[in-house]
Amino acid sequence: MSEKEADKSVPRRSFLGMAWFATLSLVAVQGLVAILKFINPVPTGGFGGFIYAGKIEDFAINSINRILAGRFYISRTDQGVIALWQKCTHLGCAVPWDESEKIFHCPCHGSTFNEVGEVLGGPAPRPLDYFPAEVSEDGIWVDTSDPRSRNHHDPSHMTQVQG
Amino acid sequence: MRKLIKTVTESRVWRSFFRHGWPDNPLDRSLVMTTNIFFHLHPVKISRKSLRSSYSLGLGVISVIVFGILSFTGLLLMFYYVPSVERAYSYILLLQTRVPFGQLLRNMHRWGAHLMVIVVVLHMARVFYTGAYKPPREFNWVIGVVLLILTLAASFTGYLLPWDQLAYWAITVGTSVAAYEPLMGDSIRAILLGGSEVGQEALTRFYAFHILIIPGAIASLISLHLWRVRKDGGLAAQDAVKIEPEALQGTDNE
Amino acid sequence: MNENTESFSPQDRQMKTYSLVELVKGPTTMVDRGPDDSIFAFPMVAILEIFLTLGVILVLLLMSLTVNAPLEDLANLYETTDPAKAPWYFMGLQEMLEHGHPTLMAVAIPTLIVLFVIAIPYLDNSPAGAGIWFTSKRGKRIALFSALYALIVMPLYIYLDTSFPIREIYRGQLPDFFLNTVVPALLMVVIVLLPLLVLSRYKPSAREITMMLFTVLFTSAIIFTLVGFLFRGPGFELYWPWGMPEGYSPWDNL
Repeated sequence: MSEKEADKSVPRRSFLGMAWFATLSLVAVQGLVAILKFINPVPTGGFGGFIYAGKIEDFAINSINRILAGRFYISRTDQGVIALWQKCTHLGCAVPWDESEKIFHCPCHGSTFNEVGEVLGGPAPRPLDYFPAEVSEDGIWVDTSDPRSRNHHDPSHMTQVQG
Repeated sequence: MRKLIKTVTESRVWRSFFRHGWPDNPLDRSLVMTTNIFFHLHPVKISRKSLRSSYSLGLGVISVIVFGILSFTGLLLMFYYVPSVERAYSYILLLQTRVPFGQLLRNMHRWGAHLMVIVVVLHMARVFYTGAYKPPREFNWVIGVVLLILTLAASFTGYLLPWDQLAYWAITVGTSVAAYEPLMGDSIRAILLGGSEVGQEALTRFYAFHILIIPGAIASLISLHLWRVRKDGGLAAQDAVKIEPEALQGTDNE
Repeated sequence: MNENTESFSPQDRQMKTYSLVELVKGPTTMVDRGPDDSIFAFPMVAILEIFLTLGVILVLLLMSLTVNAPLEDLANLYETTDPAKAPWYFMGLQEMLEHGHPTLMAVAIPTLIVLFVIAIPYLDNSPAGAGIWFTSKRGKRIALFSALYALIVMPLYIYLDTSFPIREIYRGQLPDFFLNTVVPALLMVVIVLLPLLVLSRYKPSAREITMMLFTVLFTSAIIFTLVGFLFRGPGFELYWPWGMPEGYSPWDNL
C-alpha cells in the first residue's frame, strides 16, 4: 500500500477498531439509559387523590383549618377558599399556622406567609403552593394530585363560595 | 519447643503461607513488606521525615481506620435493622433497649460517622497546607476531593435510617436543596427520594446507597488513592525539600 | 515512532537488542539528595498503625460509653421540629440559605467552591515547596492573615445580614431577583476577593494566591457551619449556644 492511498482511505484494521468502539459506546449508553429509566421513580398510591375537607359551614370566614390527611390548610376569606399545601416553598418543611401572630411561620428558616400564602418575610422564593379546591353542596373537595406553584398570589387561585 | 517452632515454620504448609522468615534482618524485612497484602502498600524503606507525626498528623491513616470501624459496626447493625417506615424506628428502639451492646454499637457507628467527616476534612486541609497536591500528585488530590464528597454522602444517607423526627426533617431539608439545581434539580431529587416526598421509597433507596453503593465506591477509591500515594513516591515530605529561586520571587520586597 | 516499531521486525531483532522506550526529564537519581535518611518500614510502620488503630477504637469506645446517639420521636410528616436542622456538616449550607436565593447559596457557590478545590493542583502546579507546611514563612503569615480576616468578616456579615436584612427592608420596593440573588452574590464576591487585592501588591506566587483563597473559603465554611449548628435556635434565629430558649440544645442535633 502506498502512502497516498493510506491517507485517503481508512485502513481496514482501524475501521474495524472504530466500528467496535462505536458499537461498544452505543451499548454502554443504552445500558446507562436503561439504568436511569429503572431508577426513575414510578408513581405510587397514597397521598395524591381527591380529599374531602369537610362541610363549608365548618370553615368560618377568616379562619385557617388544617386537614391532616391531605397535608393542606383550608383558608377561608371573604373572597373564597384556598387549599394551601403545608410544604414550605423554601426547603420543604411543614409550615405550621401561628394563631397568635396570624401568620404561617416556618421553623426551618423563618419564612412567614399570610393567610393566602403570600410571602411576608424570610427566604422563601414564592407563595405557598395550593391545590385546586371544589366547593359543592356536600362540602369542599381538594385534588391533592395537582399542586400548583405560583409566583404571585392572585384572587383567581381561590374558589368562590356561593351564598 | 524451639524445635517445634522450627519444624512448623519450615514446613511446606507454613512456607506456602508466609514467604519470608522472621523479620529481624534486612532481607526478611524487605520480604515481609513485598509478600504481604497488608504491607505491600508501604515501601520497604521509608524516610524518617514522612513518619514524623507533626508532618502528616496521621490523618489519612486514621480516616482509613475509622472507615474500617464504620464498615464493621455497620455490618453488625444490619443484623437487626429493617429499612421499613413501619418498623425501622421500633427496631432501633429494640436495638437500644434489648439487644446486648446494641446501644454501644449504634453509638460507635454514629460518633464514628461524625469523626470520619472531621478527620477527612482535616486530612484535606493538611494536604493543602503542606502543598502535597503539587505535581505529580495532582490527580490524587482530585480523588481525595471525590472521597470527601462520598464521605458526606455516606453520612447523609445514613442519617435517614433511624426514621425519627431528626432524620426525617434533616433529609427533607437536605434533598430540597438538590431540587434548586437548575435543569436537573427535580429529577435528581426524584431519583434520590423515589417520589416527591420523603417516604418508604426514599428509605429503601437511602438504605441501598448507604450500605453498598457509597461504601463500595469509597473502598474502591481508597484503594486507588493509596496505590497512587505509592506510585507518586510516598508522602510529599520525603521529596527533595528545596525551593527553587523562582518560587521565592517577591519574598525580597516584603 | 516509525523507527521504533520497525526495530521489532524479525530482521532487525538479531542486530539490535535495545530500543529507546521513553525520554525522562529530570536530575539523575542522586543529584540534590542528602544522605539516605530512610529506615526499614517493618516493624516501625506496622507498630505505628496498630497503635493508631487501638487509639481510635479507644476514643470511639469511650465516647460511645459516655454519650448516647440521639433518637427523637418517630418521624411525623405533619409536624416539623423547631428548629429543623440538616446534619451538622450541612449546617453551613443551611446557614448560607438564610442569606440569599437557594440557587445562589446552595447550588452556585458550593459548586464553584468544589470546582476551585478540585482545580487547586492545576492552578498551582509548580512542584517547589511541596512537603513543607505553608511552604515558607511568608506563606504561613498569608494563611494566618486570611484566616483572621475571614474570622472577623464572616461573623460580622452573618450578624449584620440577620439584624438588617436587605431583603426584608426593601421587600416589595425592589425586584426579588435583585435583592435575593444579585446583592448577596456581589457581597460574597467582594468579601472573598478583597484580601486578594491586598495580596496582589506583594507579587504573590500561584501557591500564595491559592493559599489565601483556600484559607478564606475554608475558614468561612467552618464559621458558617458553627453558626448554623451552634447559634441557631427555635425559628432559626440567632441565640448564644448557652442561652437557647424552650430547653433546646444544639447538641441534640448531632
